[in-house]
Amino acid sequence: MLEMFDYPFMQRAFAAGLMIAILASLGGSFIVLRRYSLLSETLAHVSLVGVSVGLLFGMSPLWMAVLASLLASWMIEYLRSAHGMYSDSVLAIFLSGSLALAIVIVSMAGSFNASLFSYLFGSILSVSVQDLWVMGIFGSLAMALLLAFFKELYFIAFDEDVARAGGIRVTILNYMLVSVIAVIIALSIRVVGTLLIGALMVIPPVAAIRFGMGFYPTTLLSIAIALISVVIGLSASYLFSLPSGAAIVLCLLVIFIIALVINRR
Amino acid sequence: MPLKFSPSLFEVNNLNFERQGNLVLKNATFKILPGEYCAIIGPNGGGKTTLVRLLLGLEKPTSGEIKLFGVSQPRFRDWNRIGYVPQRSALVDGSFPATVREVVGMGRYARRGILGFESNEDKASISEAMELMGVSDLSDRLIGNLSGGQRQRVMIARALASNPDVLIVDEPNTGVDVESQHRFYELLRTLNRTKKMSILFITHDIGVIAEDITRVLFVNQTLLVSQNPAEMIRCDEMSRLYGTPAHVVCHNH
Repeated sequence: MLEMFDYPFMQRAFAAGLMIAILASLGGSFIVLRRYSLLSETLAHVSLVGVSVGLLFGMSPLWMAVLASLLASWMIEYLRSAHGMYSDSVLAIFLSGSLALAIVIVSMAGSFNASLFSYLFGSILSVSVQDLWVMGIFGSLAMALLLAFFKELYFIAFDEDVARAGGIRVTILNYMLVSVIAVIIALSIRVVGTLLIGALMVIPPVAAIRFGMGFYPTTLLSIAIALISVVIGLSASYLFSLPSGAAIVLCLLVIFIIALVINRR
Repeated sequence: MPLKFSPSLFEVNNLNFERQGNLVLKNATFKILPGEYCAIIGPNGGGKTTLVRLLLGLEKPTSGEIKLFGVSQPRFRDWNRIGYVPQRSALVDGSFPATVREVVGMGRYARRGILGFESNEDKASISEAMELMGVSDLSDRLIGNLSGGQRQRVMIARALASNPDVLIVDEPNTGVDVESQHRFYELLRTLNRTKKMSILFITHDIGVIAEDITRVLFVNQTLLVSQNPAEMIRCDEMSRLYGTPAHVVCHNH
């Protein structure tokens, strides 16, 4: 089984997968606690618009996905905070709207269905060295921001009003968080796919919360769950020729069920 | 220090607040001085919580001026000098992964700054606040597993952990048993009298703190300020203010 690491594409897939696992589960912890889980799903669909535009006009799908996801995240946060719209309603509008837009763009082109498939469901073969560099640079930036403002984001997730009253810059940090989530999602689509990245962000923290620990151990456990799932999922993807994203998500589901059974309450 | 130039903790001048075209607060003007124990009373929907949210910068006034510790609110940065225990603070999400120690520690976050690790001073303040509120033995328990009274004490400990000059508490007794309420009132009295902490307390139960308060703000769109609480909480006066027969019972706890 270890011979899979002889292949450069598997080395790249594991490097990208492990990076995404840490980022997605860390960022996911905050959106889950804020009852904002659908944000990951929505931005993943928005990323698909970026990918479609990239493929249609011969631009980098990854860069276009980052751009589309970032713009949408700012609009979502603006509508939620400045206009007081319900979060789930705003997310539902963007989710279905972006999917509709992506479908129209895909149908206009009609020639890149095979490429699009890899972005929808993830493909370990599709991670290039250039992708890895982009993930490394933006992933490090996202990670640095999440760690720098870890305690503030935690406070906001627990009680936004008291955090604001205590002098925490809630508005700026909310925009920062959605931006970081947008970047993480856009970076993840090579490995997990746009339709499945939501699971990598949401299932690890939800499973970890079942163990009834404080926030710091819960976050570490969440990262561990994501890492284990990526390792097993990518290995299964290689061994059984499965789409990598689906294999990773199925591993996450198994761990989630185990967490449920262990922590029945 | 700002206090040298202005003795007021809060100074509010001609404050107006409208929400979606409806007037919530009209021409409010008052001062709160250091060491005061101030009760904010008034009917539901009268604007009590809105007044507190305006003081804390959680709402933007339509017009008027708010000064905190002598500094105009938009320029005020020492928010850790104000401890805040919001309404229904005891009703937290039962599954939120936070231990009592972590929640109380949040009270120090603003002081720690970006990337700031917990200093010895932070640890000491957190321990002191937990000790004072009698929640030290609950340190590793999840906040969601505590009773309403215990959660309330944790939230007050969080507010106290920043060593504030003034504590603002907004009807904190929702879902809390009577014994815990009495302990809470006793604590506020102790904080005010022995630690000289100013208290701003939104309550419907004015009778229970009648002996402690130095100033009453009656809020029902307009603001009525009284520095003679005993006079204001008379049954006939309360009946007039609330517009309905009121019977005030002053009782010790």
